Amino acid sequence: MKNIILRVLAKLLLAGLSFFVITFTIYFFNLDMKATSKIEPLLLRHYDRIPRKQYL
Amino acid sequence: MRELKHLTYFENLLQQANNALIVQAKKEGRICVAYPCENVPEPLLNLDRAFSIRLFAPNTGSMDIATYYMTNLLCEPSRALLERAIEGGFNFADCVIAPDGCTMMNRCVENMELLHTMGKGNEKFFHHYMELPLKGDENGIELCKLQCTNHILKPLAENYGIDVSEQSIRKAVEEHNRICRLIRAIGEYRREERPRITGYEFHVLTLATYVCPKYLIADKLEDTLEELKSREAEDKPWRARVLMVGSEVDDSGLIKLIEDCGAYVCADRFCFGSFPGRDPIELNDREDALTQIARHYTMGCQCPRMMNMEKVYGRKQYVNDLAREYKADGIIYEQVKFCDPWAYERLLGSVMLR
Amino acid sequence: MVIKNPREKAGEKQYGVLFDQGKVRRRREWRGVKDTLYDYTRWLYLVSVLGRFVAVPRNVKGMFRYRWMANYLAVMHGMDKFTMGLRDEPLRITHTAMNFVIKDVTKSIKDCFRGDRRIGNDQKFSSRCVLTDENAMTAFMMGFPKVKAILREVPTMFAANIFNQYSTTHYLDVAQEYGLPGDVCPMPEAETGICIDDDLCILGCCAVQVNTTCDGSLMGNGVIAKRLEREYGIPTFQLAAPMRHREDDVQTYAAEDIKKAIAFVEEHTGQKWDWDAYFSCAKRVNDATRRRLAQLEINSSCYPQFFGAVFSLYNDTNYMGNCGRFQDFVKIDAKLAKLAERGYRKKTMVAPEYRHRCVVWGVQPQYCIDMLYWMLQCWGVVPLTDMLSMVNTRMIAEEDTPENRRQAYYDMAWLNENMIMRNRTHGGYKVLVDELWEICRQMNADMVMMWEHMSCKALVGMHGQFEEQARQRGIHLVWVCHDLCDPRVFTRQSIRDQFSNYMRTVMREEPLDPTIEFLPDENAW
Repeated sequence: MKNIILRVLAKLLLAGLSFFVITFTIYFFNLDMKATSKIEPLLLRHYDRIPRKQYL
Repeated sequence: MRELKHLTYFENLLQQANNALIVQAKKEGRICVAYPCENVPEPLLNLDRAFSIRLFAPNTGSMDIATYYMTNLLCEPSRALLERAIEGGFNFADCVIAPDGCTMMNRCVENMELLHTMGKGNEKFFHHYMELPLKGDENGIELCKLQCTNHILKPLAENYGIDVSEQSIRKAVEEHNRICRLIRAIGEYRREERPRITGYEFHVLTLATYVCPKYLIADKLEDTLEELKSREAEDKPWRARVLMVGSEVDDSGLIKLIEDCGAYVCADRFCFGSFPGRDPIELNDREDALTQIARHYTMGCQCPRMMNMEKVYGRKQYVNDLAREYKADGIIYEQVKFCDPWAYERLLGSVMLR
Repeated sequence: MVIKNPREKAGEKQYGVLFDQGKVRRRREWRGVKDTLYDYTRWLYLVSVLGRFVAVPRNVKGMFRYRWMANYLAVMHGMDKFTMGLRDEPLRITHTAMNFVIKDVTKSIKDCFRGDRRIGNDQKFSSRCVLTDENAMTAFMMGFPKVKAILREVPTMFAANIFNQYSTTHYLDVAQEYGLPGDVCPMPEAETGICIDDDLCILGCCAVQVNTTCDGSLMGNGVIAKRLEREYGIPTFQLAAPMRHREDDVQTYAAEDIKKAIAFVEEHTGQKWDWDAYFSCAKRVNDATRRRLAQLEINSSCYPQFFGAVFSLYNDTNYMGNCGRFQDFVKIDAKLAKLAERGYRKKTMVAPEYRHRCVVWGVQPQYCIDMLYWMLQCWGVVPLTDMLSMVNTRMIAEEDTPENRRQAYYDMAWLNENMIMRNRTHGGYKVLVDELWEICRQMNADMVMMWEHMSCKALVGMHGQFEEQARQRGIHLVWVCHDLCDPRVFTRQSIRDQFSNYMRTVMREEPLDPTIEFLPDENAW
């Protein structure tokens, strides 16, 4: 039983640590913004293609 | 066409802010009430011994000092007025009554006050700022009344002993209407297919009614109206008839320029033009004159700062009606550079009327 | 008097390394272990806020419909702009305030999409929404707890430009294609462009507009209202706020119009005005005022804590979007107060030295929102407060009595007239010029950084007066010209250059951090 708890805790710890390492890397190296900045031009092209009722 | 008998006389009056008639009125001991915006109820500035002069700055050259105070990002009329005031060109004024109409004109007058440009040696001199209604409704009429009382009638009575009674107001309205009816009657000739008065001539006459003491030009306007009755129109056909709409046009040369290009300016709707500025105020006996004047200016106002949608749509309808009445082939929306209200009005008006 | 920071700053001390020519920063700032971890946890929090937003299908649909939504790809980048060089309490204050503002904006986008006829089309929800001008103090909504005030221009235009400097350029071009000149204020011009471009959410049973900011805003509303009324059948009410708001003889006019606005909302929503709700909100408005005044008092000391653009953005959200209507702000206000007091007691500073104490006046450019933090890190100039934060100081009636019910209309009118920014830009030169010197005295400031928004006629119309009067008082006045939300007219670097030129040529000073004097962020978000 003790082993199981320890194994679960170890897994949780490992998962937590992996989560931390991955997200902290994304955070620190600004990978989130680097990724979204690549999406922006695609979105802008999409908006340009939407038919709009320009009207005053 | 034969030149109008008094045209040169009127043109000369427009050559300087402190014109000969202002000098004459001041010599007669009258009180000069200066104002910079069409939304100030004009008859109330002409009570008793007071006469109104709309501030303008003809033949403006450099505006360096005003540009220092207000930068080159404010409209030229406001800077020209400030420059003229700094030069001492408005020293004839005994007070300035300015509404917080458009921001730029308000800042212009505030700078005049802060720089003590006027009123030297006159202890009674005052600046007053009025709040104007932003919507055409009963609440606006009440505000207009209160503001006229606090910022026109009270200071004029207290500082200069001007008679601000009901009787005095009614008399001023009568005199105001006399000028309005003369300008209207003269303007009616612009409806003709072969008009016997040019848009330029009409603009000169109309502008003079704002920048001269009215009582001193009424006879010459009457003469002009009489003269027009028998004046022969030119044979030369105009290429188009246009309605001018927009903010201030202080330089009749602009109208002349358009007409030299072959387009006849058949009607005007701008600050200090004849529409709606020279609409007579019809008073009844059921209500006090001040309330009726407030109603006239609040409900009849065509300034784009009036923000309720009845006014927004109404302004376009007004222009449309004028264009039809005066058989205009086109409308010119003019906007003084940097003027926010007319920038948008021009946009919306031109799109809607198309 | 220069105040040196006795404590060495943890982590990075020079920030130029974070910037390259790109759209985003090279990496995030190293603030020492404790503060970097704190910043990281706030980043995680924001990721969760945005993740929850994206998890709703209609929000994704909205993202693909509305061009302005692309700007929200830059939220984290925007957040980093506000925290440059911050540590300890100021870092926590900035995150607490700004995270809350971001959450609030996210909520308003969700509401917009929920009711939007093109996206969620929740008609029941829409029927209890009132489109409310972003420039309104939402005071007239304080007695309608069951009605939602939707300030759709906030996420569409105002907040978007904070995150992405180029957010408005497309819309400005659209407006100008239709004939609107380029010399008007670009904010209402962009809103006009958004309206013409059919890029505003369509919802609500009615709309209320105000004239509060300027002539341009008043006029732009006409364009927007026309489309609302004639195309979408949404009736609009124009709420008038007098210009000379300090005068006694305009207050009845303003109060009467508030009554009309309330009657208009009642008519279209079918809801009755709730006095209990109103007075609860009034208490919270007063609470916000007391808290803000306390923050200003701390800022008038040698150790200011809550300052910079976030101070004004938070006050903006608190007074205008909230106006006492939400309990959440009270908790945040209290937390901010606690942090600021702690920072003040600990004498926390966020730069190696504070050389000048500066009051920031005028209208800040949305697209260069990080300027005040840059001033502090680059030149050691502390922005003690800004014009937008010098809003209402008057306590409004908060007890429900017959007399106070009458007074309430005047209080709501007062709040509306004294909307953030316009309480200074309108109302005569006294509130804009004369009171600035009084504020400088109260804040012990030796410098004024004057944001000269080139299209703001109310501000530039007093240029010479500011100049002369500052000289008379021996106050350093630094002009920094910009075009509010159009970076094509003044780039960010040209804005910073104006400040640096003054510091070098007039003050004869050298930067604290020379690596950020020139930043290659012209192409950045």
